[in-house]
Amino acid sequence: MPGIILRRLGSALPILLIVSLITFAMIHLIPGDPAVTIAGLSATPEQIANIRHDLGLDQPLLTQLWRWYAGLLHGNLGRSLLLGQPVVYATMLRLPVTLALSAYALVITLLIGLVTGIAAALRQNTWVDQVAMLLAMIGISLPNFYLGLLMIIFFGVELRWLPTGGYIAFTDDPLGWLATSTMPAISLALLLAGLLARITRSTMLEVLRQDYIRTARAKGLPRRKVVVKHALSNALIPITTVIGIIVSLLISGAVVTETLFSIPGLGQLLTQAVLNRDYPMVQGGLLITTALLVLVNIGVDVCYALLDPRVRYDGA
Amino acid sequence: MIRRAILITLSALAGLTAAAPSVSAETFKCPHVGGNFTFGQEANINSLDQMTSGTISTRNIAMNMFESLMTRDENFNPILELADSMAETPDHLTYTFRLRQGIRFHNGKEMTSADVVASFDRYARVGLYRSSLANVDRWDAQDKYTFVIHLKKVQPTFLEILSAFSAPIVIVPAEEKDDPPMQLKTIGTGPWQLVESVPGGYVKMKRYEGYKPNTNFEQKTGFGGYKQACFDTVTFRIVTEPQARVAGLRTGELQGVEDLPTKSLADLKADKNTTIIPLQNWWIQIAQPNVSVPPTDNLMFRKAVQTVLDMDEIMDAASDGNYRLNVGFQYPNQAFYSDAGKETYNIKDPELAKKYLAQSGYKGEPVVLLTDKDYPAMYNSALVMQQEMQAIGIKAELKVVDWPTSANMALKPDTGWNFFYTGWGTQPALGALATMQFFVQPGAVYMPKGGQDDPQVLALWNDMNSLPTVEGRKDAFAKMQKYVLEQVYTLPLGSLTKVQAVRSNVKGYVPYRIPRMSNVWFAN
Repeated sequence: MPGIILRRLGSALPILLIVSLITFAMIHLIPGDPAVTIAGLSATPEQIANIRHDLGLDQPLLTQLWRWYAGLLHGNLGRSLLLGQPVVYATMLRLPVTLALSAYALVITLLIGLVTGIAAALRQNTWVDQVAMLLAMIGISLPNFYLGLLMIIFFGVELRWLPTGGYIAFTDDPLGWLATSTMPAISLALLLAGLLARITRSTMLEVLRQDYIRTARAKGLPRRKVVVKHALSNALIPITTVIGIIVSLLISGAVVTETLFSIPGLGQLLTQAVLNRDYPMVQGGLLITTALLVLVNIGVDVCYALLDPRVRYDGA
Repeated sequence: MIRRAILITLSALAGLTAAAPSVSAETFKCPHVGGNFTFGQEANINSLDQMTSGTISTRNIAMNMFESLMTRDENFNPILELADSMAETPDHLTYTFRLRQGIRFHNGKEMTSADVVASFDRYARVGLYRSSLANVDRWDAQDKYTFVIHLKKVQPTFLEILSAFSAPIVIVPAEEKDDPPMQLKTIGTGPWQLVESVPGGYVKMKRYEGYKPNTNFEQKTGFGGYKQACFDTVTFRIVTEPQARVAGLRTGELQGVEDLPTKSLADLKADKNTTIIPLQNWWIQIAQPNVSVPPTDNLMFRKAVQTVLDMDEIMDAASDGNYRLNVGFQYPNQAFYSDAGKETYNIKDPELAKKYLAQSGYKGEPVVLLTDKDYPAMYNSALVMQQEMQAIGIKAELKVVDWPTSANMALKPDTGWNFFYTGWGTQPALGALATMQFFVQPGAVYMPKGGQDDPQVLALWNDMNSLPTVEGRKDAFAKMQKYVLEQVYTLPLGSLTKVQAVRSNVKGYVPYRIPRMSNVWFAN
């Protein structure tokens, strides 16, 4: 197992290098720069030019690239041009918010997605299956932005059950966190729960048709044991892949949700950074996010190995 | 040195009409003290460094905590804030500010002239508009409470520039003078002090118990005057989604919001718990021609466009009906307001426009309208203008990018645009001088050919800056405005209203360039 982890970590380095290069190139290729934002709407061209000079944005691109990699080698991702904070600090301040929201949404996704998918597979072609898949389709089809707005109006304005926006950290007030995170987490989770439900259903159906399941049933094993021990445990391998993708989607999908619900998370931070061309923030923030997603993928690989001994032997 | 100095009222000096202290019957006193006020702000804030950030979102918050030597009153005229008096030598080269005494920073330290010197030092090094100090020879502290500015040459408009609020020289403790750009510690002298700032989330302030109001006034006025913090705390929550701001206001989670979507206004007006507060003259909607490239390099072509425009149609679409037609670059409540050039505005005569178009020799080449969707007013005004231009046979095409891109493209004449859409908010409020600076080098916005100023524009600009009398400068502004409009160096489309709202139990809230949190209170 440590060998698998080390190999995966080793292969992550070129990925991070390539991502950092692409990010640098893309953000600098887009016209516009942070000087426009800092100067404000009514700034004169001269004022904008002064800021560009102050920030070193009038330097050649290669000089800026060299400065960025030199900093990176020293573990310095630079300082946000707009926030005036070190990129690592600004990112780490927001990361727990996004991770907490994503974790909450993941729990909801797993609960709804797995239960619905398994129920639909076990009751294939019954009303349970049809209702479950209809709900899954609605979940997939509804944009989370629209769903979030509907939830704000219904649960926030009309019923007054939950706050319409804002964020309270779990460490400050767990109940407050639950109240401020529930609507965002649900709006984030429903789309992915629909996706998970459909994949779980199809995977379970495939597994349930296998010979070893028929054998287990023929042996007289209780239905529950057949489903949980034999069917689900085998279906979990492809489902784990999907869950890995879902975690990535939750983190990236948080951009819209965080904006709608005024949550100061990583998604909102990076969106603003891109919109305002805060180069160090975009470059550093995306590098950290990529590293995070690489870790998630390594986690998925480890799960494979735990779930399927063949992976361990192959990878040993 | 200032033996024969004369104490001049700022109104006389700047030629502006309402700079004298307010004369209401009695000094303001909070009718009710306490409560926590939450304001829904539309835009994210980057930094609270008021010296180096010119964004509206920063100013909205920071100007409740920082103060300057001079600022602007309700009608944007210069007034004293941290200075008790100001004297100008007869040669107009030295300005002596006597500071108000007993002012304490939020860290408890008393403000002295050493802090003012240090603040000016920092501004000269990193301040956003540090070029405004180019004509200053030096500044120094004459004694603990006296600060002196020495000019290199006479500059009649110096106080107007010094009191500008776009990125003002806020006074901070001398210890902060080396703070890097965008990293100034938020330690001011204002009635509110910072509790916590979470970028992207919120900024929380609390009442500064050590605040000493300016007793030269009896009420707040503009950014200054007699200010009192009535709430215990004020939180600016960043709520970028308009419908979320509406929802927050309706539930009472937010007690004040800015930039309400028009489609929600009817519901909010009907709601007895909310009060709509329009902030008129928020900005002048602008379509900026590029006179370096064809066909907008042709005056007759530009006149054709100017002549066909129906400003009501454009502004209605730009603002969802929240606008005023306005000639030129100042508003009617401002001292320099002039309707010079009004014959060029809102002509809406397609036949005459076609005649001008024929005279211009226009061959049907594409005319690119550069706009963005980050500011719906800019996109919508471009959309309507495109239709109106097409109606007289101009092949108008929209180029829609995001705001930083369009603003950056507009800095250069060769990036493929003919009209650029923007809004001038702060500069018109600052005054005629700040606004007309847009038309001179470096970086004249109409992109004069070869970067060479139109000599007539330059001559009038110099008059605006250097004529000794206010009337002379005012006249120069009117002439410059008329000339700029006649040459169609820009197209001011109209004045946009920003719609704000508060809960009905919020009293004393008066709209201004920023949401002012002083002298506002909750009704019992």
